[in-house]
Amino acid sequence: MWTNRRESLTSSPPNNRLEIKRVSVAFGRNLALDDVSFVIEAGERVAVIGTSGAGKSTLFRAITRDIGVSGEVRLGGKEIHSLSKRGLREARGLIGRIHQSYNLVPQLPAGVNAALGDVGEMGKTRTLRTFLIGPEAALAKRVEAAMERVGLAGMSATKTANLSGGQQQRVAVARLLVQKPGLILADEPFAAVDPVTTERVLDALLELNGGGASLLVSLHDVELAKRFPRVVALKEGRVAYDGSPESLSKEKLNDIYDGDMETNPKESDEPDEPTGPDVTRLKGQDGISAH
Amino acid sequence: MASPPTEYDGQKSIGGAVPRFSWGSSLAILIILGLAGWSYYGTQFDILDLLTNTEPASRFVSEMFPPDFSLATLQATGQGVLETFHMSFLGALIGAIVAFPLAALGTRNIETVGASRSEKIVRAVPYHAARFVLNVFRSVPDILWALVFVVALGLGPFPGTLALAVHSAGVLGKLYSETLEAVPSRPVEALASTGADGFQSFLFGMLPQGMSNFTSLTLYQWECNIRSATILGFVGAGGIGQQILISMNLFDYPKVATLVGATVIVVLVVDRFSASVRKRITD
Repeated sequence: MWTNRRESLTSSPPNNRLEIKRVSVAFGRNLALDDVSFVIEAGERVAVIGTSGAGKSTLFRAITRDIGVSGEVRLGGKEIHSLSKRGLREARGLIGRIHQSYNLVPQLPAGVNAALGDVGEMGKTRTLRTFLIGPEAALAKRVEAAMERVGLAGMSATKTANLSGGQQQRVAVARLLVQKPGLILADEPFAAVDPVTTERVLDALLELNGGGASLLVSLHDVELAKRFPRVVALKEGRVAYDGSPESLSKEKLNDIYDGDMETNPKESDEPDEPTGPDVTRLKGQDGISAH
Repeated sequence: MASPPTEYDGQKSIGGAVPRFSWGSSLAILIILGLAGWSYYGTQFDILDLLTNTEPASRFVSEMFPPDFSLATLQATGQGVLETFHMSFLGALIGAIVAFPLAALGTRNIETVGASRSEKIVRAVPYHAARFVLNVFRSVPDILWALVFVVALGLGPFPGTLALAVHSAGVLGKLYSETLEAVPSRPVEALASTGADGFQSFLFGMLPQGMSNFTSLTLYQWECNIRSATILGFVGAGGIGQQILISMNLFDYPKVATLVGATVIVVLVVDRFSASVRKRITD
C-alpha cells in the first residue's frame, strides 16, 4: 500500500492528507494538547503559532507517534497510532522533519546526514553499505544536488559538527530534499538562523511544497506566519484560531499571546511588507500549491 | 499602608554550595562514620604498628638493593613484560569485541510508544539476557576468572588472557551500553521519526555519537588490564607476576626489585600513551 510512495504522492495527492481528530496529550496532570482537531489537505501550507508551551512541538510529536495520544492522527487515511511497527515506519517515511536544533548527527559528514533522508528506503545491505563506505552513486548524486540547492556545494565531506548553525539547518533541509516527503513538519526551523538562511530554507520548503508536499511549520515570528495562506494558533493546548492571516486581528493575536503582542517586536499592524524575495504572499494563495 | 522594607538576607535564603542541614544528610554521615569504625576494628587496622614496627619492611627493601641487572634477569624481565603486554592488549581487544554486541542488546530501546504489552516483553528479553551475561562477566573479579581458567586449561598466559578478556567484556559491555543510553537522543529520534528502523537508528544515530567514548573506554580498560595482568601471574596465569612470585619464593629480592621496577615503567608508559590518545579523541 505504501510502496512507491513518492510516485503515489504526486499521482494521488490525498495520500498525504493529514487529519487530526480530537487529539489530546497529557504529561502527568498537564494537558499539553486538549481536544485538537483540524485537517491539512494534500499540498497545503500551514503556519502554527502560539506561545512557548502552547503545544506546537507536542502536536508534531503526536503526528509522528513520538508520544502516545488519545484521539486520531490520520495520514493518507491511515491512523498513525494504530499502525504496526512496519506500517509506522512506512508512514514515517512519508514525513520529513526539521527542527530548531537541527537534530543532525554531529559526528557524521554533512553528506551522510543529508543521505539519511533516504534511510526509510534502504534495505539492510544498502544501510550497511552507506554506513561503511557511503551512499551509492545514484544517492550520492541526489545528495550533491540537494547540498548544492541549499548553497553547500562541495561540503558533503565536512564533519557536521564543524558547520555553523545556519549551515547545519541547511543540511537538514538537504536531507528533506533527498527524502522528498509527502508531509513536512518544521518545528521552529528559523528560530536559530540568520535572515538569509531563513529565506534560503523557506525557499527550499516551498520548492518541496510545490512538488506536492504538505507543509506544517511552527513559528514564533508572527510576521513570517502571516506569509502562509493558513494560520493555526494554539493556546494552552487548544486550537485558538484556524483561518487566513487576513482574519487574524490584533485582538485575536493579543488573546493568543496573552497580551504580549503589544510588545512583540516581530509583529506589526502594517500590511505585509516584502522583506525578501517573493514574500508578500507565498505562491498558491488558496493554501494549496499549484502542482 | 506599605510595610517597611526588610533587609534582604541572601545568606539565609540562597545558602552556600554546601548542602544545608537535614535529618537525611545527618543520618547518612552517621552511617558512614559507623561503617568506618566497624571496618577499622574488623580489619585490625593499626596505623601505629605500621609507623613503629618498620624493621621487617626496611630489611625487605634494603635486601632488594642493588637490583639485579644480570643478563639472565633482564631477559626474564623482558619476557615477562612482553607477556604482560600481550595478555593485556589481547584481553582488552577480545573483551571489546565480545562487549559490543552485548552492549547493543543491553541498551534500552527508545522506541516503545504504541508498542503492545507483549511487544514490550519480547523486546525486554534480549535486553535482560545481555545485561545478565554482562553482570556475570563483570562481577567475578579477573583473578577468580584466572583461577577458573588455570584449573580448566593449565598454567600459562593463555588462561590469563581469557580471564582478562571475560572481565573486560563485562566491564566494557556495561560502560558501552551506558554510553549508548547517554548519547543525545534527539538526532536518533529524528531518524526514527522519518522512517529509520531500530538497526538504522542505532547505526547512524547512536553509534557515531558513542564512538569516541567507546575508544576512550577501551583504551582505559587496556590500562586496567596491564595492571591486572601483573597480578594474574600470582595464580599461575602468566605475565610478569609469575616471575615476581617465583623470585619472592626463592628470596631473590634483587630480581624482584628489577621485575617490580620494570612493571612500574610499563604501566606508566601504557598509562601515558593511553591517556594522550584518549585526550586527543575526546577533545
